[in-house]
Amino acid sequence: MKNLLKKVFKHWELFLVIFLILEFVIFGAANPKFLRPKSIMNSIVNYISVCIISLFVTLVMITGGIDIQAPSIIGLTSIIIGVLWSDAGMNIWVSVAIAVIAAAVCGALSGFFIAYCGVQPMVVTLGGSFLYSGLALLVSGLSATPAYKGISGFPAKNEAGQFVGFRFLGKGDIFGVPTQIVIYIALILLCMWILHKTKYGEKLYLIGVNQQAAEYSGINTRATIMSTYVLSAVSAALAGTLLTANVNSAKYNLGAGYTLAIITAVVLGGTLNTGGKGSILGTVLASLIICILRYGLPLCFDVDTQNLDLPVGIVLVLVVLGREIAGQGILRKWFKKKKV
Amino acid sequence: MNKVKNLFKARWMSSLIFLLALFLITGIADPQFRNYSSVISCFNSSTMYTLLAVGIAFVIMTGEIDVSIGATLGITAAMTGLIAQQGGSVVSMLAACVSTGAAVGLVNALGVAYFGVPSLIFTLGTNSVVRGLIYILTDGRTVENFGGVIASYGNKTIFAEITIYYALAVATVAVSHIVLTKTRKGKYFIAVGDNAGGANLVGISVLGTKILAYILCGIFAGLGGFVFASKYGQVMTVAGNGYEMTAIAACVLGGISLSGGMGNMIGAALGAVIMSSISRLLVFIGLPATYNNTITGVMLIVIVVIDALAQSRSIEMSRRKRLLSRTAENPEGGEEA
Repeated sequence: MKNLLKKVFKHWELFLVIFLILEFVIFGAANPKFLRPKSIMNSIVNYISVCIISLFVTLVMITGGIDIQAPSIIGLTSIIIGVLWSDAGMNIWVSVAIAVIAAAVCGALSGFFIAYCGVQPMVVTLGGSFLYSGLALLVSGLSATPAYKGISGFPAKNEAGQFVGFRFLGKGDIFGVPTQIVIYIALILLCMWILHKTKYGEKLYLIGVNQQAAEYSGINTRATIMSTYVLSAVSAALAGTLLTANVNSAKYNLGAGYTLAIITAVVLGGTLNTGGKGSILGTVLASLIICILRYGLPLCFDVDTQNLDLPVGIVLVLVVLGREIAGQGILRKWFKKKKV
Repeated sequence: MNKVKNLFKARWMSSLIFLLALFLITGIADPQFRNYSSVISCFNSSTMYTLLAVGIAFVIMTGEIDVSIGATLGITAAMTGLIAQQGGSVVSMLAACVSTGAAVGLVNALGVAYFGVPSLIFTLGTNSVVRGLIYILTDGRTVENFGGVIASYGNKTIFAEITIYYALAVATVAVSHIVLTKTRKGKYFIAVGDNAGGANLVGISVLGTKILAYILCGIFAGLGGFVFASKYGQVMTVAGNGYEMTAIAACVLGGISLSGGMGNMIGAALGAVIMSSISRLLVFIGLPATYNNTITGVMLIVIVVIDALAQSRSIEMSRRKRLLSRTAENPEGGEEA
């Protein structure tokens, strides 16, 4: 039994899979309505920003960094799209492209300070989160629409009542699967390929384990580190675009409050915040676990939707504690004591 | 003379100069700012952040982090409000705040120091748990309409327009500073943060020091909660949300290194004043409040980048000095020759 427990905790993804299956079994038994695929997919769509960004923040954290500015970039891209489209009269796709480029510049700026000036990542991205959310508010001031209202009325449906164009990203579906989930799956595959199949991915791990050794072995560590922040900012821009298309409203403060949720998903997925260890699969599983927990608890156990922090927090604390205890062999020590 | 020189070398000096420069610019931009009460109100309004920053400074110095202080502030503020609604005494409120803060700190300490969970992850978890507890404690309603004694404390001044709370906060900063720099136990915090393994080898209890740091941090957050309730007179369930980031930023502005082992309390307190006065100063300068976050962000990044560059330059300089002196003494070869 104890060996099994240790093995499970060692293979972190296995543990997460078991946890996820348990969730489905328990919630499904408590309320059969839970198992409707449409509601499950909807719950993922509601949590899509965290799911997408956490994928790329995983890359950042594997190099030993951290990115807490991504949520502010969601709002920034959303409002840039809105202002360019509604007030500057640009084509919606051109505005999306400009917003993504702007986000990449933001990421590059923070990445530059972290990689080339040697400032601690947490501080720079903390400053970045103030700066970019502030910029978002300033950009929203350029619009004729008041900031609190949000810019809405994006090109939506065709005559047949289907979502097309920009709104298709947020509300449409491909063979019954929401577009957002299709994009999410594509991004998962892309991330897995980047991290586990390319040289670039191997460099990320090496930098996380020992930056100096990586530098001496001929890797341009600074450019690589900077690139991870650009990637995570671009993913935040993508999440911002999807969120805007979904809620049909461009607002400067979309995504505010996601910071801790994203970090939670990444670290619950087994990525070390000191760098060098982690996987995309773990992050995906962890974000799904949190997402299903947030969807299942109110539905099956009547937990107030406003008070989901408590169960999610308890799960996080227990799980990380369990991993440390199993990893250190404290359990085995306890067992041994009992035998004596 | 040497003492004065050392004083100017201290990292918190640059935050002080920065704060004075901020005041000066504001004063030039708007004559209305040029009086005692405007300046002192900047200090008064920083009380909560000062308490939080001093508390978290202990933890950061030992090389860890605590992102649960915002939630701790929220729950203790809610408790204070609830006790006040039932007509409880100030002593019972303070007791509740301190003990709750200490309890959250102890839980954090056990997870981080005893079980070895990375501090960011563990305190993220306790942050959510405590936030959830606030919700249960208040039934999801805003705690309000608690008048009585504590509401009147908020704006009471003792002398020269300094509020009681800020005076007490300054006193705690002073005490913490003295403890950190003059006492043996206080120096342990820096030692553990600088090199935990080394500290362990010379007989310092790393575990004990970290537990103490987290408990102190929780207690300070609890006191911050008391001040919050007393100052605003109503406590929402999201009270204190995001305060942890401001407190961390204040510490960084005050020259406390996030990797631990560096910094002092005066810096943290000055950083808190800078963080909380920005919005106030912008009003005087004439920029709308929408510029708050942008300016804060730019300032934070500029300061830390300059600091990092200066630091790497000084390391480079001292290295060069060492090398030069070595080659000058032994022109024939290396040290061993």
